[in-house]
Amino acid sequence: MAKKTTSGRTGDPSKSARGGVNRRQVIKGAGAAGVTAAALPGLVGARQAFAADYDPMKYAGTEINILMTGDENDHRALDDLLPEMKAETGIDLVVSAPALGPLIEKTLQNLTGEQSAFELIMYLGFLTTQQVGGGYFSQLNDLIDDPAETPPDWDFDDFIPAAMRNVGYYDMATGTVGKGTDVYGIPGLHSGSVIYFYRKDLFEEAGLQPASTWDEFMAAAQALHSDDVAGCSFIGANDFSLATVDWYTRFITTGGSLMSGDPNEKNFTPQINSAEGINALQMLIDSLPYAPKNVTQYGFAENVDGFSTGRIAQMIFWSTIAGPVLNEENSLVADVTGTAHVPAGPGQTPRAIQGGWGVGIPANVDPAKRNAAWRALTWITNKRINRHSIEAYNIDANRTSAFKDPELLEKFPYLEHALSAIENAVTIPTSRIPEFFQMNAMMNVEFNAALIGAQDAKTACDNVQAQWEDVLRKAGHLA
Amino acid sequence: MTPASRERLGTKLGKLDRPGTVVWLLLAPTLLYLAAFAIFPLFYSLRLSFTDLTAAAGTGDWVGLRNYGDLLRDPHFWNATKNSAVMVGASLAIQVVLGVALAMFFNLHLRGAWLVRGILVLPMLITPIVVGVMWRALLNPDWGLINWCIAAVGLEPPNWFGSIEMAMPTLILVESWQWTPFVFIIVYARLQALPQEVFEAAIVDGAKPLATFRFVTLPLLMPAIIFAAVFRAVDSFRSFDLIFGLSYGGPARSTTTLSFFSFQNGFQWQNYGYAAAVSYMMLLILAVGTIVLLRFVQIRPGYAK
Repeated sequence: MAKKTTSGRTGDPSKSARGGVNRRQVIKGAGAAGVTAAALPGLVGARQAFAADYDPMKYAGTEINILMTGDENDHRALDDLLPEMKAETGIDLVVSAPALGPLIEKTLQNLTGEQSAFELIMYLGFLTTQQVGGGYFSQLNDLIDDPAETPPDWDFDDFIPAAMRNVGYYDMATGTVGKGTDVYGIPGLHSGSVIYFYRKDLFEEAGLQPASTWDEFMAAAQALHSDDVAGCSFIGANDFSLATVDWYTRFITTGGSLMSGDPNEKNFTPQINSAEGINALQMLIDSLPYAPKNVTQYGFAENVDGFSTGRIAQMIFWSTIAGPVLNEENSLVADVTGTAHVPAGPGQTPRAIQGGWGVGIPANVDPAKRNAAWRALTWITNKRINRHSIEAYNIDANRTSAFKDPELLEKFPYLEHALSAIENAVTIPTSRIPEFFQMNAMMNVEFNAALIGAQDAKTACDNVQAQWEDVLRKAGHLA
Repeated sequence: MTPASRERLGTKLGKLDRPGTVVWLLLAPTLLYLAAFAIFPLFYSLRLSFTDLTAAAGTGDWVGLRNYGDLLRDPHFWNATKNSAVMVGASLAIQVVLGVALAMFFNLHLRGAWLVRGILVLPMLITPIVVGVMWRALLNPDWGLINWCIAAVGLEPPNWFGSIEMAMPTLILVESWQWTPFVFIIVYARLQALPQEVFEAAIVDGAKPLATFRFVTLPLLMPAIIFAAVFRAVDSFRSFDLIFGLSYGGPARSTTTLSFFSFQNGFQWQNYGYAAAVSYMMLLILAVGTIVLLRFVQIRPGYAK
């Protein structure tokens, strides 16, 4: 039976007892005690002692299956390095990478089955509550704390804390993501939030500064709009990111608060039709004349293509998805594209939604393969993969060190903004409940209808409010 | 082998010789297959429709008729029902009229018709999801070939999937493009098999071509037309993949049909109980619709002969 370790985490006592204290405790304890450079040799000594327990080829010959997203290039970055993984660990990693819809379906089939066919499964941060909170993933603290199972250079503390709160920590007692110290997933293979992309050349030519407020954003859109270049763009299609990126960023940076109350207290109440909610949608409607003609059918690809080919002057976007606009191989405007924090209303902090993925080991995994799965998980979330993901595919990493790598920063200056966007990002409150996707879909349909002129902003927000309240009541989150 | 054991074996083999046993043995694999993959899922999903099973809760508690009650109060269900009816009705009308017209045209046996006929049936050989994606690309407002051609002749290209008014007609257009060949083939085959005497008699009686078509050809073609219509109506009603690839139910739910609505509830939002209820409502509508259509055939026995 699992017992608490000395750190208060649940784990296997036989493993935690090894050496009496674990590597992370030593490092954390040293930090808390204000250890200076003078004490570092002792710490290094401790690391070497732990490293001696670690056998990289312990699980050689084991086949591990991973189910991961095929939508966001992570699988390509991983594929590139699989031969290295095989050489270093002897593990055969078999990658299945469907699109998001089939991924969720396959994930649920495996998590709820007798035994998962996949030893590793990647899940969206928005689904942490549904899948981790549903008890479908194995707690990892015992493995993290075990120096025989975790590579000495893996560096757990290097993961961006905000990413850990998004997909890693989960408090089962209160059903709260990001709370406590119980770890169920490791950020991977990428994290991310939203940043502002703009054309430096066009702004300089027009004597404008990159927009730091929404008024400036709109003024720049008007000033820069021409037959050849749209003054701004956004995700206007009935797409997941219409609500979560473009509307939500405007909403929270103009003082909006999506939900009040708490689902556990049955008073989880939406604020969609608040003044800020209606205003955020109206801002999108008002920017239509300066956006690409068919922006109401624009999703990820159309916006990235539009910006990369020089037809869009500015937009806010997922940093990981729009990263390729800064890559000279894919973009005509890579050298004249600037990035910054998203605009915000007066007195508001620039911030946006927290995105990103986690990777975990299903609770119903074949017990004989659990440790091998952990070995594979530590390998695919190591620093090398992070670095390669950025370099080769402009994927946002999960580790602070990757974002602060001087070489990478010189090559991709946007990483500075991408990191601070992740650090300041907001976990959307509705991701606390399993109905997140359904509610988000309702919002996208209604907002898209407003953008194509089928209804006004207030009606759209009222419709979403009513639909959300209905869903929340049926699910028992609102009395 | 003793005479007694030989007799026992002979009796057993004799049993196998009985037609009933052999029939059941031959049917067994099919029956097992049907039981496992048709009958069991049918009853399992029926049971599911009376539960609140979702991926999140996973309890699957019995809720009686609650899902059906919720469904009847759900405006999105009624919107999807209306969209399904419009799509089936309009696309069926187009497919039948065009299919019959094409059959009549190719019955003229013009030179080179065999080649055109072969090309004409190609759309129905393509997987609907591919048809959806292909037409979405062709109709892309920024770089689609069709819009480019329309703009090239100086016209303003329609906003195919950017407006509520245009989305459903576009869906119907694509559905008709793919499936008119099916109606054409059925009707054309029937046309080839019609007895020539009646047409000769009509000519002898001085019937004009239009009158011959109205009073001779059409009644004789009616069984084939009704067969094709019923088949297409059922298929079109449950069409999902085309919508998935083409419009994804949008914009603003204007192309969300019942099958897409069921998919959304079941596989996007994991509300399995509710999605099963939608599917059973579809089954009910389909059963009633098919019975009415078949009844339509029966009340005109002359057509069916």
